[in-house]
Amino acid sequence: MPWFQKKPPEPAGESPKTVPSRAAKGLKVSSILSDDTIIFPAEGSDKPAVLLALAAAVCAKAGIPDCQTFLAKVLEREQGISTTLDTGLSLPHARMDGITAILAGMAILKKPIPDPKQTDLMIRVMFLFFSPNKQEAFPMHLQLLRGVSSVFQPALIDQLTASSGPAAALELIKKLEA
Amino acid sequence: MLSFISFGRAAAIVLCDMASTAWYIGGIVETAIGPAAPWFILGVLLCAAPVLMLYVEGSAMFVRGGVYKVVRESMGGSLAKVSVSALMFDYVLTGAISAVSAGQYLAGLANSALPRLHIHWTVDPKGFSVVFALCIVAYFWRQNIKGIEESSDKAIKIMSLVAVMAAVTFSWAAYTIYVRGFRWPPLTLDFTHESLGWLASRENALGRLGLLVAFGHAFLGMSGLETLAQVYREMEAPKLKNLKRAAAAIFVFALFLTGTITFLAVGLIPDDVRKVYADNLLSGLAMSMAGPHWAQLLLQAFVVVVGVLILSGAVNTSIMGSNGVLNRLAEDRIMPDSLRHLHPRFGTTHRMINLIVIMQAVTIVLCRGDVYLLGEAYAFGVIWSFVFNAGAVLVLRFKDRSKREWKFPGNVKLGKHELPLGLAALFLLLLSVGLVNLMTKRHATISGIAFTAFFFVLFMISERLNKREKVQGEHREKFNLRSADDLGIMREEIERPNRVLVAVRDPGNLYHLNKALEAHDSETTDLVVFTSRIRKGLGLVDETVSMDNDEEKLFTKVIEAAERHGKTVTPMLVVSNDPFYAITQAAQAVGATEVVFGVSAKLSTDVQLERLAMTWGSLQTDKQPVRFRILGPGVEHAVDL
Repeated sequence: MPWFQKKPPEPAGESPKTVPSRAAKGLKVSSILSDDTIIFPAEGSDKPAVLLALAAAVCAKAGIPDCQTFLAKVLEREQGISTTLDTGLSLPHARMDGITAILAGMAILKKPIPDPKQTDLMIRVMFLFFSPNKQEAFPMHLQLLRGVSSVFQPALIDQLTASSGPAAALELIKKLEA
Repeated sequence: MLSFISFGRAAAIVLCDMASTAWYIGGIVETAIGPAAPWFILGVLLCAAPVLMLYVEGSAMFVRGGVYKVVRESMGGSLAKVSVSALMFDYVLTGAISAVSAGQYLAGLANSALPRLHIHWTVDPKGFSVVFALCIVAYFWRQNIKGIEESSDKAIKIMSLVAVMAAVTFSWAAYTIYVRGFRWPPLTLDFTHESLGWLASRENALGRLGLLVAFGHAFLGMSGLETLAQVYREMEAPKLKNLKRAAAAIFVFALFLTGTITFLAVGLIPDDVRKVYADNLLSGLAMSMAGPHWAQLLLQAFVVVVGVLILSGAVNTSIMGSNGVLNRLAEDRIMPDSLRHLHPRFGTTHRMINLIVIMQAVTIVLCRGDVYLLGEAYAFGVIWSFVFNAGAVLVLRFKDRSKREWKFPGNVKLGKHELPLGLAALFLLLLSVGLVNLMTKRHATISGIAFTAFFFVLFMISERLNKREKVQGEHREKFNLRSADDLGIMREEIERPNRVLVAVRDPGNLYHLNKALEAHDSETTDLVVFTSRIRKGLGLVDETVSMDNDEEKLFTKVIEAAERHGKTVTPMLVVSNDPFYAITQAAQAVGATEVVFGVSAKLSTDVQLERLAMTWGSLQTDKQPVRFRILGPGVEHAVDL
């Protein structure tokens, strides 16, 4: 039996927080996006500006009137370790109270902008998502981070920036995930 | 890769030395005390049981143990240096006597076989044994330069062959006894002037002290036992259980082999013939079996081949054991740090091995093939290292009252206190033998004290020089780095179906590594212990591949943890501009199914996991699942992706 299937050792002290579920394994990135939540081409000279527009689109689609709380939470997370990858994908995210499903949106930038935390990284696509702030939803949250990072490789990003609009961009993602 | 050996391999390494005495102890002891020798050899072999128990208690307390560490902890540095100097004398002579004895056996075989082949040449046993001994030492010098794993393989093969030889010889001896009967060795002692040493003038007043004198002469039967403490560091988990198993295997095998052979030799070889075979007693036993001459000759050839192999194995063990001892001393700044320099290709402490081999070669040349002379001098180091060890473990019972993993039996509770009566009795017995040997073994006393004094002075000077050079601070391991531009090089180091990567950074925060080691199964899983050196911009260019102080400190702690658990680990260092990319690339390069982290002082566990999930996804080229675990005191997160 491989080691990772064994029961994890019990540490001393308080009981461990173990989340060994494999939820969201089959979650497709294209399934949580729609034409309304894709901004193309995204305007904005810096990350907060693009983020503001993207959060507004996601909130509007989800019918959330007050988007400030959501935006504030994402910006708070952005103060920490960078969410931008070498591939040109920026992946801002936050875990929110009061939502039960994942809310996501995507901005495609014609002109790349630098990541404020790491200026040598240029953002070409920004994928914003909010997930439920529940312990059982955390594996899904991580799975989505991994899944989005895996899907948005430089080749797809090149195709997205060269696409004709949100619908075409979504089609490209669906095609890749098919 | 830091790998560990099974209890069987550890026992084989020790037995290559301890059981090899069967080939020469009978002749040496009988020359010294007469035909009652087997009884005293049996007594010494039975006494090996408590001495092995003593080493189990001492080794369980200190993974990197041995007489030096135990004595230093209890009695201080000076006595520790004396004890380890005596032990070095034992190791140097072990190599010499074993190699020379092997040469004597080969010369004896040649002299038996050549006339049958109508070749009327005679081989000079002493001259031949010196040349042959030097060849053996040179061979095992090379093997040890290559490393322990290879030499433990050989030890286990040699001991398997010894077991086959024992089965054949004992079966044939049983038939011989059936045909001719058996004569039990007498109990009367017959000392020579030489064997009584400075007590020769008081021979008539010896009384029962004579028993102790005889016991002292047979004491070389326990030589090699100290190596158990040296190989404990290399023993795989569960360490203590394996140490006990190894000790039991060593005791039973040595008792059965050496004990039986010495009784058979006296019981089956006629008295006048036995004197001829004093330096190759087992050849005499083979030639005294019932059966045709050609069959006797075949048995002799078999006994000699196996003897040459095990005696050569003893040379190997002595080099390994003394290398281990000198390493402990160098770690403690008792030996010059330059001696710990690692061989650029094999990663072994080649300078120490060279030093030991040179001393053994000089001893071989100086003794001019005289096994008895070597045997007489031999027991000095054995007995005094045991005396110091027993005294030290006894003192530690009072000085360090922390809970022991295992205790030498014979402890009597008196209220809150515990009196280690068993240990005290063993110490007194060993001390008595040591003191008597000082009086009776002139060669041993003079050469042993001279050698011990030489090493003691050498250690003192080295220690002072090291202090003057301000070589301070805690012990650091020496590492050989293999560098490569491609992480794929790690695939050469790993071979098991499962791979776990443990990321480490802070030597003070290895809780997660210890937890991973606890659950780690070295048989099925490769455990890669990883750290990254973060460099930005031009710092990444021309990065020299050598460990800095912090990395040496970190990996020293990793090695210590792995040794404590007896689990195999593969250390890995990656130069990168981003720790998460470094971990991910390393884990994917080795095909890790699990990545383990400690709790970070800077980042929350959620943020660590988020960033890792992003990096993992962006770099992953396959769909292999992975488990991320973050472990800390009272914290455990495990997420499957």
